[in-house]
Amino acid sequence: MKSLKVITQIAASAMLLFAAAQPALAAQDPTGSKQTTYPGISSDALEKFGGEAGVHNWVEALFYYIMLDNRINKIFIEHGNVARQIALNTQLEQMVLGGAVQYEGASMSAAHADLGITLTQFNAVVEAAYNACERVNTPYSVCNQLIAALAPFERSIVTR
Amino acid sequence: MKGLIGVNRYLPSCAALLALSAALFSAGAWADLYNDGKVLATGGVSMTDGAGGGGITPWATITGYGTRDGINGDVHYTYVNLPNYALNSIGGAVGLWDRVELSYTNDVLTTGSTFNTVGLLTDTLGLPTGIAPWNTTIKMDVFGAKVRVFGEAIYDSDNLIPQVAVGGFYKINHNRALLKTLQASKSKDWEAYIAATKIFFPINTLVNVTLRYTAANETGLTGFGGPKGNKREIRPEVSLAYLLNKGTAIGVEYQKHGGNLEGQSVDLNGVVVPGDLLGSLTQHESDWYDAFIAFFPSKNLSITMAYAMLGNITLTPNQSGYYISLQASF
Ligand code: HEM
Repeated sequence: MKSLKVITQIAASAMLLFAAAQPALAAQDPTGSKQTTYPGISSDALEKFGGEAGVHNWVEALFYYIMLDNRINKIFIEHGNVARQIALNTQLEQMVLGGAVQYEGASMSAAHADLGITLTQFNAVVEAAYNACERVNTPYSVCNQLIAALAPFERSIVTR
Repeated sequence: MKGLIGVNRYLPSCAALLALSAALFSAGAWADLYNDGKVLATGGVSMTDGAGGGGITPWATITGYGTRDGINGDVHYTYVNLPNYALNSIGGAVGLWDRVELSYTNDVLTTGSTFNTVGLLTDTLGLPTGIAPWNTTIKMDVFGAKVRVFGEAIYDSDNLIPQVAVGGFYKINHNRALLKTLQASKSKDWEAYIAATKIFFPINTLVNVTLRYTAANETGLTGFGGPKGNKREIRPEVSLAYLLNKGTAIGVEYQKHGGNLEGQSVDLNGVVVPGDLLGSLTQHESDWYDAFIAFFPSKNLSITMAYAMLGNITLTPNQSGYYISLQASF
């Protein structure tokens, strides 16, 4: 009987935590400033990324790997506009790393709403992101600052 | 003829099984179910009870590389070499839609010379203690299940809410006579746990905290409970992993152990021998620690190497040694 009580207690605290988690599960869109993460993104992340030129190189490499990945390239061929996406992503990534750059594209939820993107496809882009960091010789720990900054967009981009 | 009839009787069920596996593995259905879409290393490795996690601690992550879009599984072989013991663990697990995990593992623990003094004596006296004169072996089956409840370990970097899962193990230790000798109260028992896992990308670190509700002695390898009964308690476990690159992690683990058999001697068929009579027959159990490095050369293979510091195990002190675990995912 005591074990039942403990299990109930564990379940109750789990549910309490879940309730606390609710507001945070709202969709995430770019806010026009550095992404808030816990712990925060290191203050020299953009500098270590190589500034605007470095971020641009990374985005170029990102799309190189995306367009080579047979799991996801069809989506970009069919619905994307690679030149526009490279330009807009270069803005967005600088902004979320804390650069004084204004992102001028659509919100993440609006841009991806009709694409029916799965978590599996999202993860494929994350793998391309790590490959891109290696391609432009951005260290893994610096790369993770950008991964941390973009990660919350998963909730708005993955719709299936 | 008789043999043929026997075969015939099994044919219908065989046919059904074949049809089922054909349905499952027919290109279309299997292609829809199968998934290996998690990012490299985020499936974790297989812990010694067979669940997905670290080396000794179950995590809130679901094993394998399946995302919520499908299923994936893995098999593992783990070998731990301690001064007086060797653990061989072979098992498999499946992850279903990144929500449910089912696992099985078979642990075989050889005890080296630990019980040889007792074994020689009791063998001569013909006492059923479960101890062979040499190389007493303990075998245990571990069935596990885990359900991911809420939270997102990887992508919710903008909040501190961990991914939380609840799970349990059912463990059947087959050396009942030895467990009786060691004065454990049960040879089969269940454990329940709640695990919370979170990755902190800005500091390249994964943190896992697990609370296990259990009465196990040495994870059940020396049974459950003691002379005072089978009282379960909540014991904390912690894993810290630092991600060196996308395919390598290093870290440390801690697991609290209980004291059900602490200070107890051995019970030789009803006679509890004073602990200091035959050298040291007093049992002790320490908390477990390990330091590990895990390599993920591809989504199909992980290699974990660790130095395990398990302290006192039954009659023997200073049990530190090497741990290696191979996991193949498919
Ligand atoms: C964190 C990850 C992602 C980020 C930061 C991101 C960012 C962007 C940006 C900035 C745009 C341009 C919006 C505009 O045109 O105004 C865009 C569009 C697009 N994204 Fe993503 N994206 C991500 C993940 C994905 C994934 C996983 C896919 C598919 C597998 C995807 C497919 C597309 C497509 C096809 C478009 C073009 C949509 C259109 O022009 O109508 N994106 N994304």
